[in-house]
Amino acid sequence: MSTKEQRERIELLQGTLDLLILRTLMPGPAHGHAIARAIEINSEDVLQVEQGSLYPALHRLIKRGWISVEEGTSENNRRAKFYRLTAKGRKQLALETSKWDKLAGAIARILRPAEQESES
Amino acid sequence: MKRRKRMLEDLDQDMRDHIERETQDNLERGMSPEEARLAALRKFGNVTRLKEETREVWTLVWLEQLLQDARLGLRRLRKSPGFTVIAILTLALGIGASTSIFSVVNAVLLAHLPYRDPGRLAMIWGTNTGNGMESTPVSPGDYFEWKQKNTVFQDIAASRDDQVTLTGSGNPQLLVGYDFSANYFSILGVSPALGRTFSAEEDRPGGPKVAVLSDKLWRGTFLADPGILGKAITLDGEPYRVIGVMPRSFDYPPGEELWMPIALPDSAASDYQHHYVRVMGRLKPGVSVERAQTQMTALALQIDGEHPATDAGNGVNVTPLRRQLVGDIQTPLIVLLGAVGFVLLIACANVASLLLARATTRHKEIAACAALGASRGRLLRQFLTESLMLSLAGGALGIALALWCTSFLVSIFPNDIANLSIPRIAQIPLNMPVLFFALAATVLTGVLFGVAPAMQSARANAADVLKESGRGATSGSRSARLRGALVVGEIALSLVLLAGAGLLIESFERVAHGSLGFQPDHVLGVEVFLATNHYPESQPDKQRAFVRDVLQRMRTLPGVQSAGAVSTLPLTGFWGETDFLVEGRPLPKPGETPTADNRFVTPGYFSTMRVPLLGGRDFTDADRDDGRRVAIVDETLARRFFGGRSVGKRLNLGTPEKPEWWEVVGEAANVKAFGLERPDLPTLYRPYEQRPLVLVAFTLRTAGDPAALLKSAQQAVWDVDPDQPIFKALPMSILAAQSIALRRVSTLLLAGFATLALLLAAIGIYGVMAYAVARRTHEIGTRMALGAQPNDVLRLVLGQGARLTIFGVVIGVVAAQALTRFMTSILFGVSASDPLTFAGVAILLTVIALAACYIPARRAMRIDPMVALRYE
Repeated sequence: MSTKEQRERIELLQGTLDLLILRTLMPGPAHGHAIARAIEINSEDVLQVEQGSLYPALHRLIKRGWISVEEGTSENNRRAKFYRLTAKGRKQLALETSKWDKLAGAIARILRPAEQESES
Repeated sequence: MKRRKRMLEDLDQDMRDHIERETQDNLERGMSPEEARLAALRKFGNVTRLKEETREVWTLVWLEQLLQDARLGLRRLRKSPGFTVIAILTLALGIGASTSIFSVVNAVLLAHLPYRDPGRLAMIWGTNTGNGMESTPVSPGDYFEWKQKNTVFQDIAASRDDQVTLTGSGNPQLLVGYDFSANYFSILGVSPALGRTFSAEEDRPGGPKVAVLSDKLWRGTFLADPGILGKAITLDGEPYRVIGVMPRSFDYPPGEELWMPIALPDSAASDYQHHYVRVMGRLKPGVSVERAQTQMTALALQIDGEHPATDAGNGVNVTPLRRQLVGDIQTPLIVLLGAVGFVLLIACANVASLLLARATTRHKEIAACAALGASRGRLLRQFLTESLMLSLAGGALGIALALWCTSFLVSIFPNDIANLSIPRIAQIPLNMPVLFFALAATVLTGVLFGVAPAMQSARANAADVLKESGRGATSGSRSARLRGALVVGEIALSLVLLAGAGLLIESFERVAHGSLGFQPDHVLGVEVFLATNHYPESQPDKQRAFVRDVLQRMRTLPGVQSAGAVSTLPLTGFWGETDFLVEGRPLPKPGETPTADNRFVTPGYFSTMRVPLLGGRDFTDADRDDGRRVAIVDETLARRFFGGRSVGKRLNLGTPEKPEWWEVVGEAANVKAFGLERPDLPTLYRPYEQRPLVLVAFTLRTAGDPAALLKSAQQAVWDVDPDQPIFKALPMSILAAQSIALRRVSTLLLAGFATLALLLAAIGIYGVMAYAVARRTHEIGTRMALGAQPNDVLRLVLGQGARLTIFGVVIGVVAAQALTRFMTSILFGVSASDPLTFAGVAILLTVIALAACYIPARRAMRIDPMVALRYE
């Protein structure tokens, strides 16, 4: 494994995975592997999740009632567990997203004050 | 709970599906099947750990893990019962011993004092550089000056010893009482259970006669009469009104039964001559004992200057009340507590070393756990749980042991002591502080002996261990070093204990083999305080007649060989003093007037006690009031003041202006009146007939057991005066035993702990060597196959043991040299760094340790190379 490869990828912040899962489930229910793939593809492979860590996160979200789980069949006709965003989860996502925007904005302003000003 | 179960049921399946899908994706990306699967697994992460993490979402993980660890620990412990039993027993001994000694410390040194803010209470004693006395009562003149001039005490109060005879309430009783000034109770901060304490009006000469009773006296003699207040009781023939009863918890000074006003007359303020006032003070807030001591010393110096004739050389000794009450027992107890702490440490080292040995053999198991995803913290927790289980079992057994021990300790600590300044240890409760101590000791030991092996094991790198060969010739070299260090530590600690015990035993030998100067066996002592109303000082003939009559009766009792009387018996703690001047010597400087222990005896006293006469003659019946004033001096006085030739010389017991001459007619051997360990005080004996006193103790030499004569001896007193109470009657051998009881107990206990330590250390070094031999069986077999002789093997193993032992002994000797200094005050006739004792215990420890090594060494010698090389 080359160090270059590692440098190009970003470790997920604690709790960020939860937010990404919720966002991924916005369009509709998905099974575990699909969620992992979606995160990778949508981030253009910058965010590489240790795929297994998805499961503790999913269970954490279920316990909080932000997502629900149901049995279903996947695209290739296999039984799988599908995770679906609940109403509570939707609210949480909105909340978390705005929080994230604020945080990201604040950090960006601190890191690059000049650019921010010229851009805005 | 059901939801959690359902959620977790399919987790395995979900994860497997996930990995399969990823594999599929990878195949589509063009990887080989093998590659595709490995890449998927790598990307997924550690399945076991992730499953564990997912499960943690749903459970109180720590609790579940704790139960798991406990179950696993229990299974492991049960699998090696030998190890478990030895570990638990070792810990139980350590914790039990520590807990029982702590319970004594808790009951004695940390006892709750039922006074307000007791830390600010202190006794203020007099000292005198001239006669080397410390902690003596002071003159009322000194007391009044202190009271007036000091600025460090909030208030100081006076008290005085008193004995009165209670009559008219059942049998006549001699009551030991205390005369208090009115403010004494308020300084202590105590209130009576019934009624009140004295007022300032009652505490003056000629004031109303009032008394405050102890709870014991009220319940025992007055049957807890609720209407006692205001009633009159007869003390020394006079009516005293009871105004109060103290609560049961109030026992000051210890053992007192009633309190009366001291009522110091105004004239006392100018009396610097008579030392009878015992002073207690309450320090002002924020004033330290040291500061009080400094000011009081300065004050004493000033008074010395103003009254050189009486006060020269007088000083002050401020003693905190707790130290006063604890007395001589403090140092031995602290030494013992330190000793059991060492025993506990040795026990810990032993168990740690056993655990380390086990951990080494469990390397593979641990590595496998780590490979399967157990984190280092998790492994550490697992090991600590196991060691805590051991220590808890040990602690429980230890507390049971302590329960038994404390009742044993109560029985061996000297009790009901007349002649020792230590508190009564009537009971040693296993209360909350003690249990807390035991629990703390248990948990602490669990962590202490568990952490090193746990760290050692958890540190093990999974890959390294799994690669390592089963023989593990190199594995655990670090753990072997650690075990070596533990053994060195154990040996060093044992040496410290052995040195301490050795010094105490040496001291005890010297004390016990010293001569008291009289033969206490077969002597019965009967102490009497003549009631002053029946035997007033103004009628000395009555006192003479009483003593003469009682002695006459006692001499005729069957079984009595001889009888005599003395004003104060040796070893009872009662004594008197007198100043004296030697004829023909220049007058001493102020403050340097010699004093002598002052006793009055009847003819027959010396022969009854078997005090040898070294010269001159004994007193005879002819030495009466109308005869020549005669005296007998002891060897010390004769040597110090007469160059050893005392007979025929004269002593002036009056003043230079108004001499009162007494002629020395005999010289008696020294009597250790204050105990074997105390230095000799010059002693002066005079005939009782020539100077009668209310203090009388009869002594009877008996043919058989003196205790058998108790009744008839007492009856002899009552035949003469049925109203005369007897203070105490007991065989002198009991007093003699009591005078060394505390030393005997502390020596016995310390020797016991040292033996225990020695035993544990021997087991420790044996265990380490046996284990080392077992580990090196293969190596030794190889050596023997290559031509090593059994003696070479013996040398190899013994050499290793000897290195550890010598290392431990050297460290121990250095540590002991530093620590035994703290025992100096309880040693007698032996220095704290006595080279003989140190050499002796070093040799003893070395021999025992080498003997413990010899057993595994012999086993190593007998190794059959063929078997050893096949051994895996």
